Amino acid sequence: MNLSFAIPLSAPDVNFRLLLPELILSVTGVVVMLVDAFTGRSQRRATATLSLAGLAATAWATLWLWPSAQGADTRAWGGMIVLDPMRLSFTLVFLIVAALTVLISAIWVEWEGLPAGEFHTLLLFATVGMMLMASGNDLVMIFLGLEILSIATYVMAGFRKNDLRSNESSLKYFILGSFSSAFLLYGIALVYGATAHEVSAQPQASGALAQHVILAGTTNISAIAERVNDGLYPPLLFAGAAMLMIGFGFKIASAPFHVWTPDVYEGAPTPVTAFMAAGPKAAGFAAFMRVFLLAFPFVAASGQMRSTGAQLHDAWLGALWILAVLTMTVGNVVALVQTNVKRMLAYSSIAHAGYALVGFVAAGAADSAHQTDAVAAVVFYLLAYAVMNLGAFAVVTLIARSGDRRTDIEDYRGIGFDSPALSLTLSLFLLSLLGVPLTAGFMGKVMVFSQALGEGYKWLVVIGVLNTAISVYYYLGLIVVMFFRERTTEWRAPRIPTTLAVVLVLTVAGVIYLGLFPGRVINAFRAVQPIAVSSLR
Amino acid sequence: MFNLSDYLPIVLMFIVAIGFAAGNVLLSQLVGQHKATRTKTMPYECGKDPVGNAHERFSVKFYLIAMIFILFDIELIFLIPWAVVFKSFATAGRDLGTLIYVEMMLFVALLLVGYVYIIRKGLFDWGERARLEAEAEGRALAETEARRRAMQAATTARAA
Repeated sequence: MNLSFAIPLSAPDVNFRLLLPELILSVTGVVVMLVDAFTGRSQRRATATLSLAGLAATAWATLWLWPSAQGADTRAWGGMIVLDPMRLSFTLVFLIVAALTVLISAIWVEWEGLPAGEFHTLLLFATVGMMLMASGNDLVMIFLGLEILSIATYVMAGFRKNDLRSNESSLKYFILGSFSSAFLLYGIALVYGATAHEVSAQPQASGALAQHVILAGTTNISAIAERVNDGLYPPLLFAGAAMLMIGFGFKIASAPFHVWTPDVYEGAPTPVTAFMAAGPKAAGFAAFMRVFLLAFPFVAASGQMRSTGAQLHDAWLGALWILAVLTMTVGNVVALVQTNVKRMLAYSSIAHAGYALVGFVAAGAADSAHQTDAVAAVVFYLLAYAVMNLGAFAVVTLIARSGDRRTDIEDYRGIGFDSPALSLTLSLFLLSLLGVPLTAGFMGKVMVFSQALGEGYKWLVVIGVLNTAISVYYYLGLIVVMFFRERTTEWRAPRIPTTLAVVLVLTVAGVIYLGLFPGRVINAFRAVQPIAVSSLR
Repeated sequence: MFNLSDYLPIVLMFIVAIGFAAGNVLLSQLVGQHKATRTKTMPYECGKDPVGNAHERFSVKFYLIAMIFILFDIELIFLIPWAVVFKSFATAGRDLGTLIYVEMMLFVALLLVGYVYIIRKGLFDWGERARLEAEAEGRALAETEARRRAMQAATTARAA
């Protein structure tokens, strides 16, 4: 006889159309893997071309889904996958990052004689993970996406097997990454427990026993939002939210959870560093924002008491404010004293996570009408950061040469007039990272800060602007070193290979386009409000 | 409530499992070739030297094999719950049988792709080198054994 009970299984609403981008990219990843296995090392171009084609097809599918993001019910697979502008705009950012990384890594793979096919496969799977993080409407789905991303990235960080720094970077990333995943998972478990409801379960063997009542929580983000006020154990909810915040804080490298970043970014191969600073960080933001904005929204209570939802909302918003200030300040101040370019850019990436967090705080405080704008501003900021950061790292890759030998700031002495193309583009990216007007970085900062001002966060914006002033020192410092210092050692200008030239042209064009005409992009990003909010009833 | 006959399938499972293990050992005893080399007659210790220092280095291949094992272990872990709920999805007006079947076959096919990949990457290609290593190890073992015997013989001779 059968004494087991189960919550009645609901048939999943199957909708392959909603998953089309992820499906296309997964299939591409498998195909690239097989091509690599069956053709050997002889042709490096084939897997790169295939990857680019797959990414382009995925981008096409994403754009094709764009109009249907406005539809009424755009959730499927038992509410696990959601279709909204936030997902699609983040997906586009990931695809751009992945495509540029393929192009940047082409030259590096050739220098070091690395198995290109494996690298491209891992990159594609990491991208699929990022996309699932953005499209998951369920904590479990987001966690799975995160793990798909992380495991691929751990391997990529240690891709130069014979280099001790690369090994160290990979191991550190693995240990601290698993540590933060554990936090996240514990947070998910606590939230599940805190949102427990009584569910009547039917006995499976018909007529065996009467109905039993069991407790079941939820990991679905929309369902959590509906239950925050009437959970059985409110303190658990706070603990769970705190754990989730720590987990995501690790992933986006926000202070005080940033300690792994410099070592990992310095040791990893430069193209991988470029990818890690742009892609996984944006994916972390996608999941972070979806979970906190949509699962723990401001929920007013009907009675006199302040509701659990409102308290929770205040608590995480306050914590996020502190996180943003710390992240900006630590990133910028520590970047001042760095002597290694990759390390400096690592701290700069921490600082930029702080600026993006300013927009996140604004999105958290905003009502649902303004929330879309704030989210779009953050996505725009991350897109701008991805473009200029990848551009900068492309130049760093070329100057570092095989084995990442020349990555000290000293190595950049006086190269300005000998290789004008490289140093001028690097200067443009540095100025954009700094936020000089007419560049993408400026437009991103303006949008994020104006959203924060609109929600009344004066001091946050003041601190942000002060931090930008601090960052002038190290961004301009590198430009000064390149143009106004004497070269002490011999410098042979490297030949710029075609793939890297393409990257530089694309990123320069992107920085200038986003800096001059941001309107089109930002309008596309905020097309409609996130669907899970509108479905809150 | 307790009914011993409910546990008959478990007993059957035990019998099959024991029979499978014992049957294989017996079968290889009866049918297989017997070339008693030095290495082969050693007590079996998962491919390691059974007597010696615990701080021994061992081949990284063990890790790879362990990882592949996990690959197919996971496959099984997913297959069992799938098989349990399959019927309830295929019937009862849901008509999801085809979809669920195809999905699982896709999953299995993906793991198969992984398998093909590792074969192509030469993971099981231990071949010539591994055999040479094993033979060298066998020779070394035989030599130490012979030396020990010789020494023993010498001491007994001296004592006598």
